[in-house]
Amino acid sequence: MSDQEAPQAGTDLGNSQHKDAPEAGTGDEKGGATAAAGRGGSRREPLNVGIDLGTSHSAVSASNGQQHVIESYVGWPVDMVARKVLKKEVLIGTEAVDSRTMVDLHRPLERGLIKEGSEKDLTAVRVILEHLLKLVGGKDADGTPVRAVIGVPAEAMRVNKQQLRNALVGTVDALMIVSEPFAVAYGLDALLHSMVIDIGAGTTDFCVMRGHFPTEEDQRTLPVAGDSIDEYLLKLINQTYPDAQISVFMVREWKEQHGFVGKPQQKVEVVAPIDGRPTKLDITRELRAACESVVEPITETMLDLLPRIDPEFQEKVRNSIILSGGSSQIAGLRAALQEGLKPLGGGKIKSVKNPIFDGSDGGLALALDAPDSDWDKLS
Amino acid sequence: MSHPAQLKRRLLREAVAENLSTIEGRPTRRRLASKPQPQPWSPLARLALLGLVLAMLVPAVYFLLRRGPAAQAGPRTAATPGSAVLGRPTGAPGEDPASQLVFPAPRPMDTRVIPLEVRRITVDPGHGGKDQGTVGRGLTEKELTLDLALRLRRMLEKRSFEVHLTRERDETLSLRQRAELANRVGSDLFLSIHINWLSTRQVRGVETYYLGPTEDPELTDLARRENRQSGYSLAEMRPLLEDIYTDFLQQESHRFASRIQRSLLVSLRSVNPKLRNRGVKTAPFVVLVSTEMPAILAEVSCLSNREEEELLGRPLYREHIAEALAQGIQAYAKEVNQTEDKGT
Repeated sequence: MSDQEAPQAGTDLGNSQHKDAPEAGTGDEKGGATAAAGRGGSRREPLNVGIDLGTSHSAVSASNGQQHVIESYVGWPVDMVARKVLKKEVLIGTEAVDSRTMVDLHRPLERGLIKEGSEKDLTAVRVILEHLLKLVGGKDADGTPVRAVIGVPAEAMRVNKQQLRNALVGTVDALMIVSEPFAVAYGLDALLHSMVIDIGAGTTDFCVMRGHFPTEEDQRTLPVAGDSIDEYLLKLINQTYPDAQISVFMVREWKEQHGFVGKPQQKVEVVAPIDGRPTKLDITRELRAACESVVEPITETMLDLLPRIDPEFQEKVRNSIILSGGSSQIAGLRAALQEGLKPLGGGKIKSVKNPIFDGSDGGLALALDAPDSDWDKLS
Repeated sequence: MSHPAQLKRRLLREAVAENLSTIEGRPTRRRLASKPQPQPWSPLARLALLGLVLAMLVPAVYFLLRRGPAAQAGPRTAATPGSAVLGRPTGAPGEDPASQLVFPAPRPMDTRVIPLEVRRITVDPGHGGKDQGTVGRGLTEKELTLDLALRLRRMLEKRSFEVHLTRERDETLSLRQRAELANRVGSDLFLSIHINWLSTRQVRGVETYYLGPTEDPELTDLARRENRQSGYSLAEMRPLLEDIYTDFLQQESHRFASRIQRSLLVSLRSVNPKLRNRGVKTAPFVVLVSTEMPAILAEVSCLSNREEEELLGRPLYREHIAEALAQGIQAYAKEVNQTEDKGT
């Protein structure tokens, strides 16, 4: 990510810490042990997990202190030769992406929900979830029950939630599905007079917390997020450099490393082949335009939601807006969105300290707080 | 338990309840649980309610629309503009009471007094068959509108709307046939999808059209309370309110058009930042004249602009357009389906 805007003191929220992961696994996970370990040490104690199932990345936080994140990709070797080279029946995460020329690659989530009409994508979701649980030590040989809370887009419909539930039959022992921004809010104890804006890859989700379980009126989902930035950036670069050979994977990496909103602090130059020759490309203008393309729709949605709040609490909420999600890390984005609050008298937007895990941490907090009687109903 | 702990406990309880609703196939809560959920109305109850509604509304609207001879206003009569109270004689000696009655100028009915529902939508893919519509370098309007309509139908059905298309393949249909279909199936909304062609090729934007040319707050509030959860959709109520329906229709069409326009701009600007807001406008489109429900025509893109044409060639962009339309429809339906007033 660009370091043009480092997290400001006093603007960061959350207190999760994690050390380097001891796990080898598929070699792509970034994770480790959280400082606050919960239950889960005893043989028969259930393992509580919070899962953020994202279009681009999926994260898990467990009550045994484990935390991991992987890319939401699954690949099956296309033929016998590929299987021999790869030495695996299925590849997950970065390994699948790196081997994409040899696998049938699936990114099973679109805008945060399972893609319609594809059995392979349903299987891929299950593979991802099983892998995440395996990483945190769930469903091991001694039959430790697993209780999971999964975050989905705010406006996910019942049919989507049911589809997810069906995909997980046999994977977990009890399942609770909540909206992702609600999970973030719960984990941060921001339960009253606040708004969470979770900017992921597939969707940007909004949730106003009013001290009750959010209803449809309190939430929005925009199909505008990290992926739409990537698509637009790809298009712009192709327009400026029509002969450059670039892919969406490349632009995504450039965005994650250098993305920014507002005045550029420095030129952004990347290397891409043109007719096979590595060539330096100045993509400063294109990168800025692509990253800024999400500002207006997110601002408009904020400005649409805020006046609907009870008038005596509007100022409080305006000054308690929380930005989370992987795509929220784009330098300058928080400031630009805060600027967008001026028509309503201004406000304050804070970034979470740990945007990768705030969703799964929130899910874990819900899982830990739910009493056994609630989990029994959800089994 | 301290307050935050109580709040968390409550939130968890509600989260579990919502999950159980999903598992058991019950409707999930859409409003605050503190308000009782409506029970289904029996036909007799509906009839009784309808009678009550008409008994209240018809006289009010009758006096609002009729204009009597000018007279001095009594203490509560229409001396000030905006009064919706019935005219009263001033009581001056020798005056003919009828000639002295003051009736305020007619005003549009506040559509909020009749909370209704949106269940059934007709989507009209513009042009078709012999009528290609606008033609780009490789794309025609008729194929694009059909593609968008099919995507939109899929999205709306997922949102539990009943959707009818005026055509599902490349065929020629008159405007009358399109409107008649919508009227025949009793649609609550009509949306005609088109792709624009502008003489200035550099311009790109979206525009949405609708057909175009009781103010006493106590009366409005009373009617709204009595009409709450009427169980009637727009299509069912329409024949009963024939005389005052035209204003109602136009108001709702305007609201519907505004929602669609806003949704298109918010969603499409993220991938098409140069998209201009060409606004919500009125126009005497025939297909909008003969429909009997709120009806709009949306020009969702410009085939005359080369960059737009390239975008339209991409399935993902068309998916964005359809999603924007679905969200706009859902947003409008939410407003119409509201049964609570924040202030009451």
